Amino acid sequence: MDIGDCYVGWATDEDIRTRGASGGLVTAMLAAALEKGLVEAVVVLKKIGEFEAVPIVTSDPEEVKAAAGSMHSVPIVLSRYLEYGTKVALPAKPCDARSTIEQAKRGQVDIDTTYIVGLNCGGTMHPAVTREMLDVMYKLDPEDIEGEEIDKGKLIFETKDGKEHAIKIDELEEEGYGRRESCQYCAVNIPTMADIACGNWGVIGDLAGKGTFVEINTEKGIAILENAIDAGAVEITPADDKGKAIRAKVDGAMMNVAAAANEKHLSPIEGSHLDYYMNALKDCINCGACKTVCPVCACGETAKCTEFSSASDTYKMSLFHLVRFVHLMDSCIGCGQCTDVCPVDIPLTHIYQRFAVPMQEEFEYKPGMDMTTPPFFGVDLIED
Amino acid sequence: MNENIFTTVCPGCSIACGMYVREKDDGAIDIDWRKDAVVNAGKLCRFGVRLSANLKNATSRVDGNEVEFSDAVTAAGKAIGDGATFVSVGNTTCAEHLALMKLAESKGAVVNTGMGAFSTIPSECHPTMGVGIPLDAIEDAKKIVLFIDPYEQYPLLVRRILAAKKNGATVTAVGWKAVSLADENKTIDPANYESELALDSDSVIIAELNPSTDPERVMVLLNLAKASGAAIMFMKPFVNAVGCDLASKKTEQKSLDQIIAEINDGSIKTLVCLDSDLIEIMPDETAVRGALGKLDNLIVITSRASAITDVAKIVVATEPLYKKAGTVVNAEGRALQNSGEGTDGVDAIGTMMGQPVGMYDEIHAALLATLGIDAVDERVVPAYEKPDYAAMDANPTAEAVETALVYAGGPFFWNGIVDDNDFVEMNLDMVTANSLLKGIPAKITSDAGEAAVKFKVSDVAPGVVLSNVKLPMTTGMVTSVTVSR
Repeated sequence: MDIGDCYVGWATDEDIRTRGASGGLVTAMLAAALEKGLVEAVVVLKKIGEFEAVPIVTSDPEEVKAAAGSMHSVPIVLSRYLEYGTKVALPAKPCDARSTIEQAKRGQVDIDTTYIVGLNCGGTMHPAVTREMLDVMYKLDPEDIEGEEIDKGKLIFETKDGKEHAIKIDELEEEGYGRRESCQYCAVNIPTMADIACGNWGVIGDLAGKGTFVEINTEKGIAILENAIDAGAVEITPADDKGKAIRAKVDGAMMNVAAAANEKHLSPIEGSHLDYYMNALKDCINCGACKTVCPVCACGETAKCTEFSSASDTYKMSLFHLVRFVHLMDSCIGCGQCTDVCPVDIPLTHIYQRFAVPMQEEFEYKPGMDMTTPPFFGVDLIED
Repeated sequence: MNENIFTTVCPGCSIACGMYVREKDDGAIDIDWRKDAVVNAGKLCRFGVRLSANLKNATSRVDGNEVEFSDAVTAAGKAIGDGATFVSVGNTTCAEHLALMKLAESKGAVVNTGMGAFSTIPSECHPTMGVGIPLDAIEDAKKIVLFIDPYEQYPLLVRRILAAKKNGATVTAVGWKAVSLADENKTIDPANYESELALDSDSVIIAELNPSTDPERVMVLLNLAKASGAAIMFMKPFVNAVGCDLASKKTEQKSLDQIIAEINDGSIKTLVCLDSDLIEIMPDETAVRGALGKLDNLIVITSRASAITDVAKIVVATEPLYKKAGTVVNAEGRALQNSGEGTDGVDAIGTMMGQPVGMYDEIHAALLATLGIDAVDERVVPAYEKPDYAAMDANPTAEAVETALVYAGGPFFWNGIVDDNDFVEMNLDMVTANSLLKGIPAKITSDAGEAAVKFKVSDVAPGVVLSNVKLPMTTGMVTSVTVSR
């Protein structure tokens, strides 16, 4: 097995295969990593309800197996739960993987002991929006939902009576529902920065729906997959060229959709920029949630953004935010967590991206894609 | 590596925002966002975000000495005799409150929730004073009148009011400080509320009811709601104030001021406080400390270390709120159940009255009966009857002082926590008139003393010095002061 190899794989355990997404390969691989001692812990989402799950750090393979299946209505970034020094694995959407790498650059995560099992991602939805969407768009009671999936551009909910209810995601987003805004313009769908990238795109023929497409990106990726094969938890077969091409095509189509959403949502500010930002931030209640939840922030309690601002300031626009907008220009991955938790619904991710995207484009630098530090870290200041 | 995760609510105010608390092996906790929580979609204000930094667990003590929990329970059981007075303002579960009611009843007493307005105002008004309206209904209002500052006092209302504005609502704020989300900020004589506010049945009035609220003000607002047909919601500063009020209905209540007066005149010798720190809750800290010092027995049953646990004769330290089995009822009247299974508090109170351990199930069933529901479902607000009431003669106390220090309230204030709120606010005219300089604290002086405090220039009413932190020279929620450099 080599870096760059692509396979289609599935769990050998029938129960995992049935409950997990696309043949349960990811669940089987994570559980095997624990069972064989490759890692000490795995970070997974413990399911509480159809739209609710809580991240747990577990050393119990049964808890990993119980977490099988995707949950598009649980928009949580798991890298916040990693502890330095623990040999750990995590299933990682691109934002999970990218923030893990950004944390590793800042010494918060030991990348050598962290196995990033990437998951293709077309976006997630806020549970409160999902519930409203079910009521308004699908005319369904959220409590009747038993499962969901995204397939061929449609968001499909399965009700307890076994029926499927599908609406095109474009249609949902036109009405203000569907994926979170930050997911709509996120152009990273395949986690190529992860140790191993997994997903259902490119699984064709008899294996469609029953297998997971796997791309090996690092030596750790080889280790975690071979570990699962050695444990008898997983079987694989080489991916064929047609599957690879389809995967690339789907990714390309998703990137085009993201580019269009980027133009729509991040179009230039009309009128006074000062007025725009003052208006956007005027309801801030100084809670600090955006900083606390940020998966790329590594500053701790004492930080530039907090030290330079105080609730007793009379400034019309908080220095806390201004410092953060600038400070995160090189590291914001647009994961959407700050917007999700903002108690006064400030579209913070949107604003962070307005600062970050032009800078990241200027330097041709995309955070979290590899361990390369931002280019200006290496800039020498020259005295005239 | 191991941790327990509790699904619970923020203890900061009666909105009762859903959250997770993560507890590690060493007892350290961290909060996490519960995005599927119906009340707040996972969003939290600064109090909730910083809960782990500010929450200090209590320690069981007798006469200042650390003791085992069971010894503290035994000591409390012996010390609580007939004639004891009981207080529970709503900082704990309905189960513990109901257990305390049983204990109080066994001693021929009632549990006082501290909301004196309930004793003064006719009982047919109590359902309207107690249970508010669903938070979603705020978003549907056509007109909202705020008698609170939502940013400071109830921050998770801000997004609801903003949503209402997006839906076309107009917002009027009547208060000490201009509220930026309001379309208009007004100072109105209560006698003219009806004519100046022009409310109707599509309107919502949001006000606050706390232990220091003048009952006459409550009556004025009830009259306004009745005359206009507007819905009214009295927010409370304590997470389960509504649940405790519902449980305590039809019992005679004393205000906290009355209780302090009766301690001072010697008619109360034993006071039992369930998660109710009168030093934090009452504005005149010096007076409260003085009164508590006169008690023979100050018995505190609490999960949280606070000012009162330092002066109590007996502290029975129960598990933190997030670990308790039980239910709270928020400002909407929505019942919210903890995932915790701790029954230390209920069991301790049971032991004090000689009941066998295991009262919880019986008490929880009684709560469901009180709420008229079969089970707690956070997505369903129980139906509450709100009978009509007659208009009342009301004459709110005039607060006409030249310069007044006014307590704004808010989760940090009511929990006695100094966070980033260690400053006062006043308008530019007052700053200029008193030659105050940025960077130099203002000197605030009253008959009870003086304090030097940082200040901030804000759009507050003339003559008002607004504070969200307790200052030592205050004698009430409004204190006449002078300001100097």
